[in-house]
Amino acid sequence: MAVRIIADVLILIGALFATAGTIGILKMPDAFSRMQASTCVSTLGMLGAMLGALLYAIFVMGSASAAVKIALIALLIFVTNPLGSHAIAKGAYRHGIRPDKPMEVDDFGRDFDE
Amino acid sequence: MRKTTFPAVLATFVVCFAFWVLLTWKFTLQELAAGAVVSLAVALFTARFFIHEKAGWLFNPVKFFNLLGYWLFIFPVELVKANVDMAKRCFTGCTDINPGIVKVPVDLKSDYGQAALANSITLTPGTITMDIAEQDGQTYYYIHWIDVKADGEEAGEAIKGRLERGVRRFWE
Repeated sequence: MAVRIIADVLILIGALFATAGTIGILKMPDAFSRMQASTCVSTLGMLGAMLGALLYAIFVMGSASAAVKIALIALLIFVTNPLGSHAIAKGAYRHGIRPDKPMEVDDFGRDFDE
Repeated sequence: MRKTTFPAVLATFVVCFAFWVLLTWKFTLQELAAGAVVSLAVALFTARFFIHEKAGWLFNPVKFFNLLGYWLFIFPVELVKANVDMAKRCFTGCTDINPGIVKVPVDLKSDYGQAALANSITLTPGTITMDIAEQDGQTYYYIHWIDVKADGEEAGEAIKGRLERGVRRFWE
């Protein structure tokens, strides 16, 4: 029972950060800042849900194979998520997407735009 | 084109086979044999893309425990701090931001070390590594930062000081 409560609390924490990230995605002013907010969802939001599910799988379901698969899902999201973020951010910048309000410091633009 | 070396094949094989066992989670001889054959075939074809440097570094216990310490203690602390900071900004209306792209010098030599650091930076909310460039033998990251407070070296210390010291302990 105690484990069940801990698992629920972990999932709630995950949901809290996922909510924060979603609000960020909806309200941030430009594409790059929205990507920053979305990282919240895919790190602590995902991690909270996965840790809760992991505890649930081990202690409530008692299934080692489910637990291993949940751990692998978390690991694979952690490994692949930054690759997509690099590629999307760089691709968006190269494509000419800029914030409406110009950035104060923009070393990337200074070095590559001329 | 790089040559396929035996240590590289062995290391790739171990990784592939470990994933096979974890995903199937059955320990009959048939499953394991099929996994070994598939892993070996994959390792033979992909080892030269997968392993560029010394294949056996993980078998060095000091580096292995430094790697574990980094992923279990140093990185999660930074991750939680950045997440709480980001969540605060989101819940207070997303107006407290000052986005910009800073150019930050990095002192890691190995490809894997640079990749690990760049991925760690991208995983912490508030910073995304956009590109890696090399000028006069010095490596630079271009990092999109949600709240620019400094420039150059200072920005580097603020964004990745602790992460870089952690990464250097297992990949110089």
